[in-house]
Amino acid sequence: MSADVSDLSLVRRVQRGDKGAFDALVLKYQHKVVKLVMRYVRNPAEAEDIAQEAFIKAYRALPQFRGDSAFYTWLYRIAINTAKNAVVSRDRSPIDFDLDLQNPDESYDMQGRLKDSETPEALTLTEEIRSTVNSAIDALPEDLRTAIVLRELEGLSYEEIADAMGCPVGTVRSRIFRAREAIDRRLREVFEGGLGRAEELG
Amino acid sequence: MNEELDSQLSAMFDDELPEDQCQLLARRLSRDDALKARWRRYAVIGAAIRAERQGGAVGRLETNLASRVSAAVSAEPALAGEVVAQNAVRKAGGMRWWQPVAGGAIAASVAAMSVLWIRAQAPVGADTLVAENAAAPAALTQTVAQRMGDDSASESYVVPATVERTPIVPSAELANYVVAHSEFSAPVNRRNMLSALVASEPLAEVDAASSEPNGAAPATNVVEVSRPNVEEASK
Repeated sequence: MSADVSDLSLVRRVQRGDKGAFDALVLKYQHKVVKLVMRYVRNPAEAEDIAQEAFIKAYRALPQFRGDSAFYTWLYRIAINTAKNAVVSRDRSPIDFDLDLQNPDESYDMQGRLKDSETPEALTLTEEIRSTVNSAIDALPEDLRTAIVLRELEGLSYEEIADAMGCPVGTVRSRIFRAREAIDRRLREVFEGGLGRAEELG
Repeated sequence: MNEELDSQLSAMFDDELPEDQCQLLARRLSRDDALKARWRRYAVIGAAIRAERQGGAVGRLETNLASRVSAAVSAEPALAGEVVAQNAVRKAGGMRWWQPVAGGAIAASVAAMSVLWIRAQAPVGADTLVAENAAAPAALTQTVAQRMGDDSASESYVVPATVERTPIVPSAELANYVVAHSEFSAPVNRRNMLSALVASEPLAEVDAASSEPNGAAPATNVVEVSRPNVEEASK
């Protein structure tokens, strides 16, 4: 199975004018891109702003994407450049310096200002999702847990997981799907309650 | 939502779905909100597992980043026209630069092949043969003069003894053919490699011989070897 097939399918749709396909790409990679950007800025809200800018840049540059490299490699490059530029422009900005002087009592993290959107509620929701997923994984049968962890944590292909677990590739696909479904059932409950709260957070 | 579709979505999320199925599912994914929500939760599951096991900064697992990007992209023009236009420009630009290069490369290849072919076809010892033949014009002239002056005289097709025939001398049939045709061809055509091989005498002499009033065939040593057929044809 050639790598990046699913991303390329979505990319080709975007290139043909299907903006909905770009949503799927953003949903798939938003966490990874934010995590990548957070190497440059520690504040999650600022990292999300930079990630948003990176995604929009990627969308505008998609006509030039030919598929020579994997989509995520290309996207990560854009995200890193965007983050570097953001850090440089922020460091050169006199506004931040002025704010520091004008608000000496305001608390800052190492890389910048704490944004209003970084609220305790948002952090609580993240913790709730994390604990739900982890408890769901702990409740999985051993073979399903091993398969999903090898895939998500180690990034192994189905074939590599099949070798590691001594089973056919079709079985790996089935195990990963069943593991996701089991976790998803628990996660949906959080999302149905959590999404309402998230909207309230604005 | 059927289980098979969800199973395919899971495989597609891992880049493990065959391409043809990917294309169909990508189309559905871009339009089906329920499928997109499931896709989103798959991403959250992966992020949560990595956050727990790997630690470090992960950001928020629940975020409105995707909806913000989607709103911003909605305000952007669709890409279809741009992609087509840029591909056309790329194609046209490509045509412009590689056409002369390709033309030059083809010309160079043909020239190189021609040189190699000619060198490969050149008879071994041809220089020696020509040098030896250079001493023969006197004998040849005499032979031709005898033939012109006395048709009843028995024709002599004797090759001067000083000329040693080597295995590379073309066959009589080939020589006969070339000589017969050379009478009706322009002098420049006889300068091709095969004529030079057969009629191994200086071109000036060949031209002079071919312009003789009686239309006699060029008097060359090699021609003399297979002369009978030519003579019959010209009579």
